[in-house]
Order: sequence, then structure tokens, then C-alpha cells
Amino acid sequence: MANYFNTLPLREKLNQLGVCEFMDITEFTDGVSALKGKKMVIVGCGAQGLNQGLNLRDSGLDVSYALRKEAIEGKRDSWKNATENNFKVGTYEELIPTADVVINLTPDKQHTAVVTAIMPLMKDGATLSYSHGFNIVEEGMQIRKDLTVIMVAPKCPGSEVRAEYVRGFGVPTLIAVHPENDPQGKGLVQAKAYAVGTGGHKAGVLLSSFVAEVKSDLMGEQTILCGLLQTGSILSFDKMVEKGIDASYASKLVQYGVEVTTEALKQGGITAMMDRLSNPAKIKAFEISEELKNIMRPLFQKHQDDIMSGEFSRIMMEDWANGDKNLLAWRAETGETAFEKTPAGDIKINEQEYFDHYTLMVAFIRAGVELAFETMVQAGIKPESAYYESLHETPLIANTIARKKLFEMNRVISDTAEYGCYLFDQACKPLLADFMKKVDTDLVGKNFNEGKDGAVDNRTLIHVNKVIRTHQVEQVGTVLRKAMTAMKSIKTV
Amino acid sequence: MKQPIVHIQNLNLQYQQKLVLRDLSWNMLSGENWLLSGKSGSGKTSLAKAIAGLLAVEGVVKINFNSASNLPAQVLFVESWYQFKNIEGVANFYYQQRYTSLQANETVTVFTDLTDCGKKHNLNIADVDSLLDALSFSGLKNTQLIALSSGEHKKLQLVKALWLKPQLLILDNPYTGLDSKSRANLNTLLNQVSENGVQLILIANIDELPICINRFATLNNGKISTSNTPHSVSFSKENSKKQIPDFLSQSPVYSSYIIAKLENVTISYGEKQVLKTINWEVKAGEKWLLQGPNGSGKSTLLSLLNGDHPQSYANTLYLFGNKRGSGESIWDIKQHIGLISPEFHWYFDASSTVWESIASGFYDTVGLFQTLPYLKSNKVDELIAYFGFTEEKDTLLNTLPLGKQRLVLLARTIIKNPKLLILDEPCQGLDEEQTADFNQFIDELCSNGMTLIYVGHFESALPKCLEKKMVLENGEVKENSEIKSKNLNLKESINHFELST
Repeated sequence: MANYFNTLPLREKLNQLGVCEFMDITEFTDGVSALKGKKMVIVGCGAQGLNQGLNLRDSGLDVSYALRKEAIEGKRDSWKNATENNFKVGTYEELIPTADVVINLTPDKQHTAVVTAIMPLMKDGATLSYSHGFNIVEEGMQIRKDLTVIMVAPKCPGSEVRAEYVRGFGVPTLIAVHPENDPQGKGLVQAKAYAVGTGGHKAGVLLSSFVAEVKSDLMGEQTILCGLLQTGSILSFDKMVEKGIDASYASKLVQYGVEVTTEALKQGGITAMMDRLSNPAKIKAFEISEELKNIMRPLFQKHQDDIMSGEFSRIMMEDWANGDKNLLAWRAETGETAFEKTPAGDIKINEQEYFDHYTLMVAFIRAGVELAFETMVQAGIKPESAYYESLHETPLIANTIARKKLFEMNRVISDTAEYGCYLFDQACKPLLADFMKKVDTDLVGKNFNEGKDGAVDNRTLIHVNKVIRTHQVEQVGTVLRKAMTAMKSIKTV
Repeated sequence: MKQPIVHIQNLNLQYQQKLVLRDLSWNMLSGENWLLSGKSGSGKTSLAKAIAGLLAVEGVVKINFNSASNLPAQVLFVESWYQFKNIEGVANFYYQQRYTSLQANETVTVFTDLTDCGKKHNLNIADVDSLLDALSFSGLKNTQLIALSSGEHKKLQLVKALWLKPQLLILDNPYTGLDSKSRANLNTLLNQVSENGVQLILIANIDELPICINRFATLNNGKISTSNTPHSVSFSKENSKKQIPDFLSQSPVYSSYIIAKLENVTISYGEKQVLKTINWEVKAGEKWLLQGPNGSGKSTLLSLLNGDHPQSYANTLYLFGNKRGSGESIWDIKQHIGLISPEFHWYFDASSTVWESIASGFYDTVGLFQTLPYLKSNKVDELIAYFGFTEEKDTLLNTLPLGKQRLVLLARTIIKNPKLLILDEPCQGLDEEQTADFNQFIDELCSNGMTLIYVGHFESALPKCLEKKMVLENGEVKENSEIKSKNLNLKESINHFELST
């Protein structure tokens, strides 16, 4: 199988990268009718599989689960999840031939094996749905020409997909139709009905393409989302310990700090996050984030280039073939860092203190979000896609760090994200060595405002505010956030 | 003379610019156990929190522990509200999710929770078993926190408090959600710890108190009045005979004579059966009382009617004339139903305003996600005026006292004048006056032909309109009967139930 993207002529590459349309709620007035009475069979019953299935069934659709024979016979968790919630469960052979829509919600790495197994069983003219396009775009999986191939990707973990649905809302969702596989022209209508079935239409649906989704998703996850949060967290912790800050305090500040600061990001973008700082701290955070952007720009560009050329997926798939040798070694290494090993102290840190004592992280996040966004847009990805894959997802990943630090983050995210995260982290740390030498505890560990009178120069502040507020990620974000303001905030403090 | 364990002098306390307690002075002496009562919003909880050191106050609040005692020198305040998080530390889930069966545990188990509590306070884990037994809680050790009913959560809180035996124990509405047998058992346990030297402050509005209570205090207008005998709280009875909003007196139009029909419904989690072959028929316009001890399956039964239970799809069950699982969505079902339950309140997103919370009842959503059309918006205003919330309509729900929050959610429940009203312990957290008013309001409301299912543990506080009764025990129907001539017989049959549990 050849990398699908690389087989396209430049014109078609640009064409597919540029698919991006924020869909109006009026596009969904037909509800789930396009899927009503159709047999929907979900392959896999993990967090996404189960929760999407619960939502679809509660929307009046006919849902059952196809699992591997071993999972059924061994009564594995996926079998229990499905049967105990009273879903019909069967083997591929039993259920796939009856399905009008087959929804593949297995992990990326298994896609080639799963799709190869189910494709011959699928009935003529049926639909195959993905929630991530890696298999189609990077691995170049060829799907039978009579089948329709769509993607419906809720941009949140499975439990959130369910929680937001039962409260009567939804999570932002990306949908796409594979241009090589839409023989009857029904792909979009079905993808829209599916998004209604999971509640996604209430929180905003972005019409994308398989190519745009993959290239932006990979870029976001390995740079700002996982890579930079990991690098920033480890460097911050080590710096505090080096400067004599109590390690258990440092551990708590780092573990929960990203979540608290990015909650502001979620509500009101970079602007809201920066506005939580005092004026002098904001100016300082602005200055160092500009510096960070200059230092890290070549690295962000390298990641984007490797993703576009297929080099990244090539080396990662080599590691898959090699039994995940690198991945497992790097995962173990992450588990051994001092930050990971130091438990967060039983200390109360107020919400504002997370900003005042952790100005460095605010700077890291601004630099990372803006850089990832800019780099994606320069590479031909539309701003709306770039927004979802950078700023929008940052608080969600930050939340996993707050749960159980970096090891947990890497366990929860996809293998693809995890692999890219380690690559980024390894390259980024040496790049920041000189920068970190200048950092002191006023930026991380202690209150930046202590001993300062709070005075700033008017013109400097006006300039800084203007640069922050007029960045394209802020302008796009304002529009997209309006559609999802009702999403519940994550509270841990 | 021994110093008083609690010494309060000239205490002033503000809650949102309103002075709740004024120049309050009060002593609690050794050997005393107090009942603290007062109307909702009179400052009972605030005073309790001030004593427990959880609120910043103006004035003197001094606690003198007995250094000779071997009990922990601690004040423990058991809130009437519990908060638990899922295993990963986030609280973002909704009450419906407790019915989903999931292999990966979302919350810790009762046993883990108790073990953690024991470690934190250096308690002997062997001591907890007798408490669990006394509150018939032993069977729940391996249950996840999310799967507990509201009464069971209350029991878990109480078990922890009684296990710790602090020198001063303050319980805010400990009887809420407990069935009558558990209430009696709790009183026995309170008498025991009091003999062991624990001093109690009980915030409650009920008659069945433990005998160890020997002092009585009432809060009114920021002042405290005390006595040695119980005195009923005299409520200033302003004539509350208000005209019910017009739109609520319109009779529902039923499309089916049968509202709900369950045929041999069985619900189980793994080996554990929560409901066993339940048969039940609710006809349009009927008024049902649903009762049963804590954990008997009441909430699970109601969740089936409200479209919340995933196992509905494998059972034979008809709602509003349609077979469940025949292509309807849960929102098609919910649009006919107004529901409130303690669980619903716990998981409600309280970060919206009073107005928004009530308005969201039109769409059965937790939080308001759309702009209301003119007529609907008028109805919200009307109902807000009826309940007397006009001043607080833009206030965030979670800044109101619990009793008020509950009333707001009750208003949300009826805003769309539903065909079926499901009130699962609706008056939890309301004071006597509010409860009486509310039940009278329900009687009036339901006279329009609305169908009602009402769950209530407190026999003295039920609406008069109830005419049929269903009693569950251990997941089975124990009684399905008529409540004959109202009032008198209702009381009798309830007494019968009390004796038999």
C-alpha cells in the first residue's frame, strides 16, 4: 500500500488539504433520518465504541457490535461493555454482512488488519465509517469501489461524548467523505445524520477531508498538544527543583497548572489566558513567548514537513513492524522522570496562584498554540482545522496531565500521538537549553508580581494586547467558540 | 467550671451582601447535644460552617476541646451535599451515566473509599463493619460510588463520621433520603456515640430525634433562641394562596391511555439483579406513590420511564403507547416528562442562572443551549414570579441555599406542563413550610389531569392527591394497591408499611 496523499498531484493535494467548512445548524434539520432503520454495526467496544453506540441508539438508531471471535469467547471487556448494556453482539461473519453502515472504532494500529478482515464481508453498496483517517491517507488502504467511506470524528474522549449527549448537548465533531469512495453520493448525508446521532451537531460540525484531518491532527498532537506540554512540564519541574522550590509544591503546580491555565484558553482563547496575568506578567510572558516561538519555529516546521512528506508515518510504521521497540522504551523513560516520580503535595493552590506562579507555562502555551496554528496554515491547512487541532484540544490534553501526569497522558492519547510526542520532546529539550538557563523562579515557582509595583508602560501594553488579540487563531476561535460555549468547563481546583 | 466546647460571641455573617447572622452569641456546654432548626435560608448551614471553621466570620468562634478525652480533637461537619469525583478526578458526568455498565471503573468502590478514609484518620478498619451492618450497607462494599443511590450516599457519609467519632459532630440534614428503618437505626447510633462522648449538633426539621438531643435552638432573622424542650418552629404564615399560572392549568392531551407499561422487566449488573420481573401499568391521569427502602430499585425503575436506562432496550416496556426501542429517541420520550430526583440535582450544571435553569426544562437539557421564543420566555417569567424568584432570576444557581436550588429545579420540572410528572423525593432540603406549600401546589397542579409518580420517605409530607401505591423491596414488587379514601387510609396503609420494613 502506498501513502495515498503522495499519490495525488499537487493540485489535488491542495484541494483536499483545503476542505474546511463550519456547518450551520440548519444543515442538520433532517436529523438522523438518513440512517433511520439502517443496520449500524460498530467494530470495537472501547471508550469511543461504547459511548458513540449508546448515543446512536438513544437517538433511535439500530446499533450492534461486531467483535473478534477471541474477544467474544474470552468474554473480554469489550464483549462485557456491549452485552451488559444490552447491545446485540456477534462475530464479523455474523454481523458485517447485514450491515448498512460499518463503524470502525478500533485503535489506529489495528485498522489495516480490521479493514482487511471486514471488507470482503460487507454487502454491496454499504458504508464504512472511520473516526480517524490515518489508515486511508498514510497507509493508503484501498477500499472496494462500491463502498462509501466516511469519517465522523468527535473531538473529545469517549466519556465526554456520552456526558455531553445525556445532558442534551454534544461535542464538536469533524466529518468527511473520502472522494475516492462516494459512488452513490450519499456519504455526506450519512455523515451528517451520524453527527446528529451522537449529538455533535449541537456543538458545531466541521466539514473536512480525510487528508486535512490526518495532516492537521498529526501536527497538532505531536507539537503543541502532547510534545510541548511534556517538554514544558518537565523543564519547569526540573527548574524549580534546581532553584530550591519544594518538590512536592513544584509537582502539584506542574501537574494541575496546565489544566487551570488552559481552562481560560478554552473559554476565551489566548487573549483570556494572557488576561489572567497581571500587566507586568503579561508583558513578560509575551516577550518570552516571542523568544520561544523564534527558537522552536524550525522544529515545528520540521514536524510539519515530515508529516506532509509521509516521512513521519514511515518511520513510525517501521517501529510498529518492530514490535514498538522505540515507543515502549521512550514510554518507560517518561515514567522515570523526576516529575513523574514526585507525588503532588497536599497543598492548596488557589486558581489565580497557578497563573501568578507559573507564568512560564502561559508563555509556553501561547508560543506552542500560535506556532502550531501558523505552521499548519502555512502548509495549506485551513485556519478552522488548524484551530481545532491546536487551541481547541489543548485543554483536553491538559486535563489528562492533571489526572495522572505525563505517563497517563501518553497512555490515553493514540499511539500515533504518543510516538510523535516523544520525537518532539527529544528534539525540543536541547533546543531550549540556553533559554532555560536564563529562567528564574519569578517565572516558575514564585509569584511573578512579588516585589514589583505593577507599573507598565502604556504603549507597550497596548502593543502587546493588540498583537495577542489580532492573531488569526483568536479571530477564528471567536467564531468557533460561539458554537460551543455551552460545553461544560472542567473543574478540578 | 469547664469551658464550653463551643463559645460564640457577637458573630456576624454575611452571605452575598446580606447579613445572615447578627451579633449572635451562643455557648454549647459539655454534655449537651443540640438540635438546630429554622426556616430554609435562616443561616443554619452558615452557622454550622462557621463553627467548623469553614467560613470566615466577624466575631468570636472558639472551640475548646476536652484534652482528657480520647476522641479526636476535631469538629466534623457533615454537609447535606456530597461531592465525589470519578477515579480520574473530574466531576464531568451526569446522573444517567450511573446506569451504564462499563468495565473500566469510573469511580472508586465503597471499600476503597472507606479504606482511604481510614488511612487518612488512622482508624481501625475492623470498627467499620458494625456501622455498615447497622445501616444495612454491608452488601454495597464493592459497589462503585457512582452506582449508589442518594440515600446510600448519605449513609456512606454518616458511616465515615460515626467511625471517626470527633469530639464535635455537626450533621446537616442527616435524615435526607433515608428510609424510616435507617432513620431509626441512625438515631440508635447517634445515641451510642453520644454516650461515648461525642457531642452533636443536628440540623433537622423532623420529629423523630435521637433521645440524646437535650437542647434546642432556632434561628430566625439572624438571631438564635434556645430552650430545653422542643418547640415547633412557628412559621409566619403569609397567605400563600396564589393563583397558579394559567398555562399550568391546561389539561394534557394524551395520545395513549397507557402512560407506561412494564412486562416482566428485569435489570441486572453482572450477577446482581436490581429489578426482578417487574410488572406495572400506569394509566393516564393516575397519581402514584412509589415507596421502598433505600436501594430497593426505585430510581432504577424511574430511569426506565425517563429513557435513561440502557437496559430498557432488552426489556418489554411501553411508554406513551410506543414500544421502547422501536426507533424513538430518548428526547422523544423526555419531552412528555418532567422529572426531578436528588441525583438529578447533584449532577445538574449549577453554573447557570435561575432563569436559564428553569428555561432549560423546555428542552430537557442540563443547561440552556438556545434562545427562547417569546411565549416560552413569558412562561418562565410567570413561573418565576409565582415561586417568588424574581429578585434572584439572574443569580447563579449554585450560589443559592440548597432548599432554594431545589425549588428552582422543581419549577424547571413543571415549566412545560408535562403529561407525566416524576417527583423522586422532591422535597429533600425544603423546610416544613416549603414542603407543605409545595405539596399543596402539586395537588392543585395535578388536578388538571396530569399523571404523577411521587417518591417520598417522609409519610407526613405527601400530597393528598395520591391514589395508588407501589412498594418495592429488593427489586421486587411488594405491594401494588389502591390508596382508598384519601388521608385517613393513606396514613394507615403507610403505617402498615412502616411496620413491615
